[in-house]
Amino acid sequence: MNIEVGNEIPSLDIPSVDPQRMKTMAALLRDPYPIHWDAEGNEQMGIKGKVVNQGPLNLSYVVNMLMNWQGQDCIRRLTVRFTGWVLGGDTLTAHGTVISVDNANDELLAKCEVWLERDGERLLEGEAVVAITD
Amino acid sequence: MIPSEEYMLSLIGNRFPGGKRTIDRWENYLLTDCTTSPQLADGLVHPIALFHIPIQGVQTSIAELFEIGRVEGAGSVGLDGYDWEFFQPIREGVEYSCEGQILEVERLYTDSGSMYDRFVFAIELSDQEGELAARATCFWRLRRGKVEH
Repeated sequence: MNIEVGNEIPSLDIPSVDPQRMKTMAALLRDPYPIHWDAEGNEQMGIKGKVVNQGPLNLSYVVNMLMNWQGQDCIRRLTVRFTGWVLGGDTLTAHGTVISVDNANDELLAKCEVWLERDGERLLEGEAVVAITD
Repeated sequence: MIPSEEYMLSLIGNRFPGGKRTIDRWENYLLTDCTTSPQLADGLVHPIALFHIPIQGVQTSIAELFEIGRVEGAGSVGLDGYDWEFFQPIREGVEYSCEGQILEVERLYTDSGSMYDRFVFAIELSDQEGELAARATCFWRLRRGKVEH
């Protein structure tokens, strides 16, 4: 497959963000921040009854999209900004577009713009450098 | 209580204790499952491990980082971003040496007048041969609320 600037990476749909996974994630991270598991306690933030997905999980949807595209060990760099909360039950889509292709260290590397969106609103955005293996 | 700017700036350059961290099969399995991805092949660790493995590997924790930054309560910490570099695949069962420090702290204000501290730390993982495996730089926002300035 020939990778060119402007190519769109096949998007990845997340039909519904699962709050149960946030609890497992909180345990793995040893993360005491209650916004990820105490839905009632989030009332003061105006999201009573909802929990906030961990940042690494938001990024994981973009990572999974990239691994589906170029393989499980393709990622060389991720530079991202978090621009909004992902809440339990959200429906999301991860997207990406190739913005440059270069050779470096004997690898063909694609720099990609990547983002995660909910109803057209970007909640994460940034760049990924991916080794082209396909 | 809002920490002084002097205290916050004194954190710049502070190194974490450092240490070693091996990623077990069970935790990579659960981590990967949390992402909704199928399990990875050949002992590959899911790339998002580059958040918590470095933190735990340098012998600190998210809770301790909150204490160092003097934040507590819902909404007090925001995640601004990551810059993660992978120099080799991260694998289960490999003992990684972890070293890192607080890189930057800066007191800033939002357009609406809320104060926060930009808090940046970076941690490197090296494999058993001493080769650099990955570098994780994390950008946090420690919120201090609306204050006169």
